[in-house]
Amino acid sequence: MFRLLVEKELREIIGTTKFAVTFGVCSVLILLAFYVGARNFQVSQAEYEAARAENIKQMEGLTDWGRIDHRIFLPPQPLTTLVSGISNDIGRTTEMQTQGELRSENSRFNEDPIFAVFRFLDLEFIFSIVMSLFAILFAYDAINGEKERGTLRLSFANPVPRATYILSKLVGAFLALGVPLLIPILIGCVMLPLMGIPMTGSAWGRLAMVVLAGYLYLGVFLTLSVFVSALTEKSSNSFLLLLVIWIFAVLIIPRTAVLISGRAVDVPSIDKVNYDKNRYMAQLWLEDREKMQNYSRENPPSQDGDMQAWMDDFRAFMSELSDVRNEKMSDFGGRLNEERRNRELVQQRLALGIARLSPTSVFSLASTDLSGTSLDLKERYIEAANRYQETYAQFIREKTGSAGGFMFTMRGGQDEEEPPPIDPYELPVFEYEEPSSTTLINDSLFDLGLLVLFNIVFFAGAFVAFLRYDVR
Amino acid sequence: METPRPMLEADGLTKRYEDGNLALDHVSFDVYPGQVYAMLGGNGAGKTTAINLFLNFIEPTDGEARVDGIATHKEPLKAKEKLAYVSENVMLYPNFTALQNLDFFARLGGNTKYSKDDYRQVLLRVGLEEEAHNRRLKGYSKGMRQKCGIAISILKNAPAILLDEPTSGLDPKAAVEFIRLLESLREEGKAILMSTHDIFRAKEVADVVGIMNEGNLVMQRSREELVGEDLEKLYVEYMTGYMDEVA
Repeated sequence: MFRLLVEKELREIIGTTKFAVTFGVCSVLILLAFYVGARNFQVSQAEYEAARAENIKQMEGLTDWGRIDHRIFLPPQPLTTLVSGISNDIGRTTEMQTQGELRSENSRFNEDPIFAVFRFLDLEFIFSIVMSLFAILFAYDAINGEKERGTLRLSFANPVPRATYILSKLVGAFLALGVPLLIPILIGCVMLPLMGIPMTGSAWGRLAMVVLAGYLYLGVFLTLSVFVSALTEKSSNSFLLLLVIWIFAVLIIPRTAVLISGRAVDVPSIDKVNYDKNRYMAQLWLEDREKMQNYSRENPPSQDGDMQAWMDDFRAFMSELSDVRNEKMSDFGGRLNEERRNRELVQQRLALGIARLSPTSVFSLASTDLSGTSLDLKERYIEAANRYQETYAQFIREKTGSAGGFMFTMRGGQDEEEPPPIDPYELPVFEYEEPSSTTLINDSLFDLGLLVLFNIVFFAGAFVAFLRYDVR
Repeated sequence: METPRPMLEADGLTKRYEDGNLALDHVSFDVYPGQVYAMLGGNGAGKTTAINLFLNFIEPTDGEARVDGIATHKEPLKAKEKLAYVSENVMLYPNFTALQNLDFFARLGGNTKYSKDDYRQVLLRVGLEEEAHNRRLKGYSKGMRQKCGIAISILKNAPAILLDEPTSGLDPKAAVEFIRLLESLREEGKAILMSTHDIFRAKEVADVVGIMNEGNLVMQRSREELVGEDLEKLYVEYMTGYMDEVA
């Protein structure tokens, strides 16, 4: 019985022009997403390699490690091409310093603002916008449409258990939409290695999880549609109601969540934090200037004394001042940053909590977690850059004898031998490593669980509503 | 000789809806195997409500509808195994062909042994020409769909058949063919309960005629009792007489 009903459902959906058009559109969009994603990756990879080469090239010929202008870059990750998340919004380039706060700049959207306006066509977009609409399109009249057509009466004139019927409706609709979509997805997967995308086993596994999350999300809208269809008498009513729910889920709730949290939790702006830091820095400079003047007054260079020894003492004094100042600045800046970060976390938690009322947000969070392009990407990049900063500072210290900050050098006369050029390839290499698959999958588990919960709740709703449904 | 058991029994069947409307008020009648029972009555008389109670689409407020002794509201799935149903306006799956519709509903009714030839034979029997068998139903007229619906009920091979205004929308030729078909089904021993407005057809085919008004069975006569009677006149008399009584 169940199989017969599922077969009927499949045949009824697949045999329609609506399905042919939908399948065609979806296939084109999915293949396009894979192709555009792969091309973007190729371009990003080329830009990344060029930027690294340029970074080395501009150091060639320099003779002083203290004068280098070193930059590190966030390498493109294969899965960011399919689920871009915030990868295009965050800065990919960081100017490396031996100390102080690091800032990343040159985001993709900063360089190509047109993409910020229209965003990218990626797998997440296709699932969250297009597939959810198609799910509604195919299931909005699952129950009331049968009633309007008169087939529900005829079906239930036979010994058909209602539970079997409603379950077959869902399974049939899910298979009819889900299985054909696997075809373009699999073709897209074949395209990736052919286009030179270095997909690791971990990336494949996570891509499979993203597709699974997409199917769970599709299931949410299918069960919701069947639920609404079992609650309403007319298919036109259920379609309108589902459209309103879709607009809220996809467009309104995520944006409102950010607005509400922004109003509820005040986070000082970066500019305000920088202003406070600069003021404090200026204050420290003033204090140090006085100390420097006192030092010069109390320890003037003697006319006949050893100038080099005085320079060494002065450098040591300045270095000590610089170290103390940097430490104070670091403490102060760290405190401001931490306060800001804590408030930001409260704001984020509130925003995500509200946004998770929408299955669309939940799917976005799960898929970006799995792809490594969630909100954590920025944090992870900054953390990796900070770790590199320590290695870099150590390297510079070894090369120059100073960890930067105050660099005081004295050149001899024209006859002094020019120091040999530095070898930029000696620089420690910055390597950004994505967190392990286990970490990323663990991060996504909560949202995947929520998607399952949405499915269960809407299915239970559809089940109960249909048990009480008047089939006449 | 042992008295045969009725295939369809309405036993004090009562239905009061949640809005207080009494759609059926302690109605009792029996339909035996090989018998056609025609329920006559105007709109809202309770004919369709009675059929809905036999199909367990609604639960009775009081009394029972039984199919072969099985109370439909207690064991609906078991009772439905013995029922075939044709609605007033048969609407099947428009994107399926007649054969596909027949195959689906036959298997839904528990018959999995039919071949395509069997489906074709039944469609021919109900008067649907062969060229239409493989056409999608969205291009069918109401009469053609009605024939498909009847074919589905025949294929179920159930001992009881419920027909809700089956001749509504059929042209006179198709209506005559339908009556012949009913007669052959009766000869096969089916118990047929038919609701209709069509007094002429009812008189032609029915073994028992019941007249319903405002949820009450106001008259019930066998074919023998109706010999020499003008059913149309009786219908009007009972309807108006009942109305006067109520007034």
